[in-house]
Amino acid sequence: MREFVVPKTDTKIVGKIELEYAFKLAAHYDPPQESHTPRGTFRYQDIVSGEVSGERVNGTVYPDSGGQYDTVRADRIRDVDAHFMVKADNGEWLYMEHVGYRRTDGYYRAIAYIETDLKGAYEWMNNTTFVVTAKESADQREVVFYYYIAN
Amino acid sequence: MFLEDESISRRRFLGGATTAGAAALGGLTLAEIAGAETPAGHIGSDATPPAWFEGPDPSIPKAGLRWAFSATVFFADRVMINTMDSPAGRGYTSVGGGEIWGPRLQGRVLPHSGADYYKTTFTTYYMLQAADGALIFIHNRGTMRRFAGPYERGKPLAPAPAPPAKQDSVWTRFRATPVFTAPLGPHDWMNHTVFVANSQRQANPDHTVFSYYEVL
Repeated sequence: MREFVVPKTDTKIVGKIELEYAFKLAAHYDPPQESHTPRGTFRYQDIVSGEVSGERVNGTVYPDSGGQYDTVRADRIRDVDAHFMVKADNGEWLYMEHVGYRRTDGYYRAIAYIETDLKGAYEWMNNTTFVVTAKESADQREVVFYYYIAN
Repeated sequence: MFLEDESISRRRFLGGATTAGAAALGGLTLAEIAGAETPAGHIGSDATPPAWFEGPDPSIPKAGLRWAFSATVFFADRVMINTMDSPAGRGYTSVGGGEIWGPRLQGRVLPHSGADYYKTTFTTYYMLQAADGALIFIHNRGTMRRFAGPYERGKPLAPAPAPPAKQDSVWTRFRATPVFTAPLGPHDWMNHTVFVANSQRQANPDHTVFSYYEVL
């Protein structure tokens, strides 16, 4: 391994992040289907429908546009990997991707990446990092995601 | 060695992040953090108080952030396959090394352990080495947007003016979202915690400071 000499700098700073609430998404899923794989338990859940609501965006989840493709690890924590499409009330499409963890202690958090029309009303979502906190029903079929912009 | 060719450098893409962005972002110095009040009863690695953010009504769960650690990452070679303006544009910026400090992780960036293989946003893969020797893999994705001025709570952000308009007050919101793979043991918490980072590009020498926050 080549060595590297870290230059002396005066940039030992702690930059700020402020979260700003944006909207919520209530998702309705089919029951999870689990299968055993070399990586752990693969857990697929089809997204049947959903509603997006907030001051800046309202819309619906496009039925069967994706779902959750999670992996249940050896420590029982779920690596969350969710993909689906939303149709906003003005007809524009949003692609939503979520990466996060759902723990057995109730911690269910993710980062959402959203892609939208460059000329559309929701262009502000592109290249915006969303911090998501989620609440899951006991039967795991109802999940509400709350999206905060990381400013 | 840094490639300074403007046509292939990411500087243009980063826009104001190098200087104006870093200055406008400000942020706290280590001394300020050290001098900040810590709640009674909090000791050791969890000493930094969290910040909580809420929605417009109490039915919305609050979201919390707590500073975990920061990293300076120094870059080495800068290469571009095609141009950034082309649909196939792919950049390569190798990671030379760096330092990690803060309440929950100390150590270094493993020298020459990876790179940013960016397209329109950055996608980095490299290794961290904790003070106890543990190797931690970081896969980091970033988002970047430029605004007319810094974020102020409760106020909408206006887009940055297009060059050649004055860029002095442009604020670059540069955020990174890492996924860590750490060995079992004292760093296992990183395997099940969502993080978000404030990122600030610095010049002379060319490096980026990442301030990593745990999402609570």
